[in-house]
Amino acid sequence: MIEIIGVSKSYNRGAVKAVDNVNLTVRNGEIFGFLGPNGAGKTTLIKMITGILNADAGTIKINGKDIRENPIEAKMQFGFVPDDPNIFARLTGLEYLNFMADVYMVPPQTRLDLMQTLLKRFEMGAAAGDLIQSYSHGMKQKILVIGALLHNPSVWILDEPMTGLDPRSSFDLKEMMREHADSGKTVFFSTHVLDVAEKICDRLAIINRGRVILSGSMQEIHEHLKEHHSLENLFLELTQNE
Amino acid sequence: MNRFLTLVKTLMINSFGISAIRAKAKKSNLAYLKVLGLGTAIAAAVSPSLWLYSKIIIEGFDLLAPINQQGAILILSIVMVSTMIFFFGIFYIINFFYFAADAQNLLALPLSGWQVMGARFSVVIAYEYLTQLPFLLPPLLIYGIKSEADLTYWLYALIGFLLIPLLPLSLATLPTVIVMRFANLGRRKDLFKILGGLMVISIAIGYQFLFQKSGFNATDPVFLQNLLTDQDSLVNLISRFFPSAKYLGLALISADKIASLINLLIFAGVSLLAVALAWLVGDKLYFKGLVGSSETTARRKMLTSSDYERLGQGSPALISYFRKEMRLLIRVPSYFMNCVLTNLLIPVLLIIPFLVQSHNEEVVMPWVELISQPQGQTILMVVIVGAVIFLAGSNAITATSLSREGQEFFISKYIPLSYKRQIMAKLLSGYVFGFIGVVLLLLGAVILMPLDIALIGMILAVSLVAIVPIVQAGLLIDIFRPKLDWDNEQKAVKQNLNVLFSILFSILLGGAVLYTVLRFIHSPTLAAIFMVCCFSLAAVVLYYLLMTKGIEQYRKLEG
Repeated sequence: MIEIIGVSKSYNRGAVKAVDNVNLTVRNGEIFGFLGPNGAGKTTLIKMITGILNADAGTIKINGKDIRENPIEAKMQFGFVPDDPNIFARLTGLEYLNFMADVYMVPPQTRLDLMQTLLKRFEMGAAAGDLIQSYSHGMKQKILVIGALLHNPSVWILDEPMTGLDPRSSFDLKEMMREHADSGKTVFFSTHVLDVAEKICDRLAIINRGRVILSGSMQEIHEHLKEHHSLENLFLELTQNE
Repeated sequence: MNRFLTLVKTLMINSFGISAIRAKAKKSNLAYLKVLGLGTAIAAAVSPSLWLYSKIIIEGFDLLAPINQQGAILILSIVMVSTMIFFFGIFYIINFFYFAADAQNLLALPLSGWQVMGARFSVVIAYEYLTQLPFLLPPLLIYGIKSEADLTYWLYALIGFLLIPLLPLSLATLPTVIVMRFANLGRRKDLFKILGGLMVISIAIGYQFLFQKSGFNATDPVFLQNLLTDQDSLVNLISRFFPSAKYLGLALISADKIASLINLLIFAGVSLLAVALAWLVGDKLYFKGLVGSSETTARRKMLTSSDYERLGQGSPALISYFRKEMRLLIRVPSYFMNCVLTNLLIPVLLIIPFLVQSHNEEVVMPWVELISQPQGQTILMVVIVGAVIFLAGSNAITATSLSREGQEFFISKYIPLSYKRQIMAKLLSGYVFGFIGVVLLLLGAVILMPLDIALIGMILAVSLVAIVPIVQAGLLIDIFRPKLDWDNEQKAVKQNLNVLFSILFSILLGGAVLYTVLRFIHSPTLAAIFMVCCFSLAAVVLYYLLMTKGIEQYRKLEG
């Protein structure tokens, strides 16, 4: 579960409000989609949830652990896939996965089993021994996803996870997200792709200019859609009028 | 042509970070002041070497003036700068023409080969102007002032200055473009960068070795005269590669106006012809070489279960983080060259002069005599510990530890590894390389001098303690002012002021302790105890600072 209470973040001494008093709760057993145009504050909020950025105000808890008060325990709760897959270019895929497994203290046998399963599922078995710099964009994305799942976290936080993935991998990831949520755990992800959000989310929120302008279950969203015909129309109208 | 000029302008702005400075200046006027301050700091740092260089030129001028050979000073400097530009040019060109992050992007634009290559060539020329400035300005100024030159000299000097890099850079471009077209070095980019860097360093060491061996003494008139007039001398040898350099020299020193002009025209003609030839060849070959230079090798070999067993052993998080640091230090060419190699090479460079002269009793005897006395042993200890401290301060490993993470710094923020442990892992990597430096320096000392075991033990003990506060201070500096915003790994280590601050700290701390020893303590044992106490105290204080202020600041940093 992720609780975001009154979180704000601004830049240039308060002149630019990147995230403005956001309140959200992502419950166990659900896939929560986070939508918004470019520069709306999605990545800033995700970075605050994961401890990469410090919030100016508010509280963020992951499974009840406060990211500011109890950072290490809070960070152990989630697996994170960043939006930029260009990391550790000079490590091999396997070295990267081992690094992540060590940092999350995954026992050798568990990591071995999970690594083999996930590498096979994402068809990365042949590339794992090569340097990450030789990977395509999608392969980098896959190795990040695998690295984030190695410690079997109960909360998944994914920033634009489908970008660059081929249809097969994208399908697999969506399926895995569904399985994860169905087992009573949490998936929080940001996306630009409205179709994806509409198909797999249990609940979603739309953020624009740092503020959450719509949040609710897919059922509630569908009520709105009656007036607007499609999520795309709703999204365009909401983010335009702001 | 317009496209070409636009491209030159864009590449210049991007390469020199002009827009970034402007953007910062918009926010605060301090940005200009910072650039100015940085310039002043660099000028202050190089001024002692410049002063020494100028002194040698002035003395050379005075020695050669009576035999009317003072013009040789100019020819010598032009030839030397041309050689330098040729060698450095090869690496500038490969890096900037083929390995630059944006090199491939330009392939998709509707531009022809000569336009892209010519624009990149122009940017390299601009870099070369900066490189040659400290080497050419003093001789040109000194010659002009001392010979009371007229306006023509200054005009020709300016034209000459602008033309000098054209020929050597064109000569460096030709083989590079041809080799890159047929041998796809891009596949082994990292390895090639390291090999290239090693070659430049070998040349530098080779020069030093040669100068030491030949007993180079620029103030000795006979030596200088031989250097300039002997048919087989270095200058003549080098000037054969750049025969046109002599024409510029003659244009500058000739009293006859017409001869002067003709010589300048010959120099300009040859230089421009070389550029035209390089661009012509580049037009045909550059794009063909560029395609594929971004490829990297990959085996794509299925892992066997034994591979998994071997690699999936698992280690404590701190060790894993430390291992990651070490892997990147060794695998990223810029980090390897600037952090690891410096650490290994400085001891070698410090030892070479002694090694070369080891047969020379005049050089060795005073040392042997010196270390037979207790005070002499203390002095030797101070010298070696001083070198160790300087080495640890300048190897840039901890002083760029956070900076090297750059855009990836966010990973250190979200992984569940406490900042304390991350700091420990970073210190460990600094300490490991500091230790290697200590061993190398001591090894050199042992080879050169008959030292007894007790003294070696004491020096080793002091050195191992002395590097601790230096390594810690480097990290503390980098935590407080990490340079995370870079687009090129080189910028994280090479253009990072934290290294300068770290060197400054090592000079201040080392200087204070070592000066006290030299001034007040004669017994080597007492000196060792005193130094161990001082450096331990500094280490404790800095550790406390790292664990309190350092961690607090680490927490505040954002990825």
